Amino acid sequence: MQLLIQILMNGLMMGLVYIMMALGFTLIFGIMRIVNFAHGEFYMLGAMAVMILFSTLGINYFVAVLLAALLVAVIGMVIERLLLRQFVGRELNGMIMTLAIAITLKAGATIIFGPQEMSIPRPVSGVTEIAGILIPNDRMLVGAIAIAILVLFYFFLRYARAGLAMRAVAQDWEAAALQGIRPQRIYLLSFGIGCALAGLAGALMAPIYTVSPFIGDVPMLKAFIVVILGGLGSLPGAVVGGLLLGVVEAGVATFINTTVATMISFALVVVILLFRPAGLMGQSR
Amino acid sequence: MKRNRFKRLATTIGGAVVALGTAFSPALAQETLVIGTISALNGPGSEWGRGVDAGTRIAVSEINANGGLVVGDTTYMIEVKSYDDGYKPAEGVAAATRLIEQDGVKFILGPLGSASALAVKPIFEEEGVLALMNSYSPQTLANNPKYVYRVLPTSVEYVDEIVGWVKENKSDLSKVAVISPNDQTGWDSQKTLVEAYGEVGFEIVGKELFERSSVDFQSIITRLMATSPDIIELDTTPSSTAGLIIRQARELGFEGLFVKIGGPGVPAIVEAAGKEFAEGTIVYAAADTSSEKYKWMEEEYAKIYSPPMNAFNVFFYDAAHLLFASMQKAGTVTDVDAVRDTLVEMTPFDGAQGTLVWGGMEDYGNNNQLIVPTFIGRISDGKEEIIDRIDAN
Repeated sequence: MQLLIQILMNGLMMGLVYIMMALGFTLIFGIMRIVNFAHGEFYMLGAMAVMILFSTLGINYFVAVLLAALLVAVIGMVIERLLLRQFVGRELNGMIMTLAIAITLKAGATIIFGPQEMSIPRPVSGVTEIAGILIPNDRMLVGAIAIAILVLFYFFLRYARAGLAMRAVAQDWEAAALQGIRPQRIYLLSFGIGCALAGLAGALMAPIYTVSPFIGDVPMLKAFIVVILGGLGSLPGAVVGGLLLGVVEAGVATFINTTVATMISFALVVVILLFRPAGLMGQSR
Repeated sequence: MKRNRFKRLATTIGGAVVALGTAFSPALAQETLVIGTISALNGPGSEWGRGVDAGTRIAVSEINANGGLVVGDTTYMIEVKSYDDGYKPAEGVAAATRLIEQDGVKFILGPLGSASALAVKPIFEEEGVLALMNSYSPQTLANNPKYVYRVLPTSVEYVDEIVGWVKENKSDLSKVAVISPNDQTGWDSQKTLVEAYGEVGFEIVGKELFERSSVDFQSIITRLMATSPDIIELDTTPSSTAGLIIRQARELGFEGLFVKIGGPGVPAIVEAAGKEFAEGTIVYAAADTSSEKYKWMEEEYAKIYSPPMNAFNVFFYDAAHLLFASMQKAGTVTDVDAVRDTLVEMTPFDGAQGTLVWGGMEDYGNNNQLIVPTFIGRISDGKEEIIDRIDAN
């Protein structure tokens, strides 16, 4: 039983990070109809930013994480305005453009930081034991911040003017425009928030893992699996998909092995695509 | 009158210079010799891959700085073409094909990693290209290759000695769990380790394989912890990944010993694990990192890649020097067979860390394996401390 709870905790912790990645990814798709293949690179930029701000410049970790997320949001907004705006709604062209952006960002980071894996000091260390279940403090911190961000994000979308406008544009941009909402501003804001979430995930995970220009590849893949499971464009789907993937992966990896866990996560995608193409909580268009 | 005399003098001197230049021109003939490297320059394990490239480049810079490689009447300035294979067989094949077909290279250092090495081996054999490579797979030297030589020791060369040392010095420990990368390198090295630990009486309680792109090992460790191992053997796990495993295992309550009888890389382990968690880890050390030569090499490495340098650098530095010395002795840089035949006669050869000799007949049926000194290290206060040395014989 204790083992099962430990596995569940491991899965939940991972699931929360997957959700942060997937939320931004699915938000951008839901509003702009752009499959952002550069999402993993924004995760990487967040990690790189926190490495410079916290590890090199010695800025307080929490401030560094916030600044990193803001910085990634600004980079994302600049990219949206200059490179992606004209591809809104044109899925194929947008996809190719984001792929080009991903490769360019990765190559740029390799030139600046080098290809090697780097480690940064951890802001918190130690382990908390609750009823025999061990949870590393740094992961618990990440989990707590992730939950706080999710709650904040939920209230933003539900009650904030800009959040309501984003939902309106996602449902029907023409009708939203008739109501006085400027879709271009919403695209900019959505892309910025989506990138900030990826950057935040990268910034939070940087001290737990290692940092290199290639660290975005796996989270990007996970985000993709999560949004397929939950439904591309569905925010509640990203939450359900993220938790499902985290727990299934942790369970299978513990009881069988990591290779089978990866296989099963893709098998889930195949099953969902075959029997419920819009995902668990997505809506067919 | 004076002007005419001056003219004659100038003409005489000019003529003499031209004559001298013509007379000595064969000795001054300078050409370019291009050699290739193939290794993983990016991603996990690339600290070893960069050692292939940088080790070769440091040896080349040394020779070029001394005026070039003199072979017969010709002096060659050496140029290195490097390709990244990311430990992937398809990219290794692409790199080998480009080096051979496009760059006209006949001598290659690398690849590093079994998947890539085994994929390119038939190409080297068919094309008659001399390769000084590394791969943990015994298949690398199977079927008596004519052009493939291994310049790094594999687990086979040092596992028994180090496992024996662990048995003798940590006699209170009995249960071992082995974690290795899920590819040809990991499968082969894990098999060798499991056999070696089993032979001296250790009980193997876990054999784990992970994907190289993994950074989260909580699930694997949770399962391993249920078997209560005394030792977690990290095998050929890339150093920074090994550091992550150490950290995550300590956080989940593992209090036993970490041993890493695989690729070296203490700085990356300590950086990822943290000094406190890495303390006491027993490692295979490819070189004595406190030696003057090693420190000089680290300075040279920093001119090519960002530190820290991996000890694998030393093997390819030595291999490159061994290759160039063979070319000089054979008197050719184009006749691959002649260079190869000389290469196998070149040992004992003075390497950066001690004497190198060709061997391996007992294990592989040929002497294509370079035997080098082996060091056993322990991580102490975040640094590698050499605690034992086993010389090549």
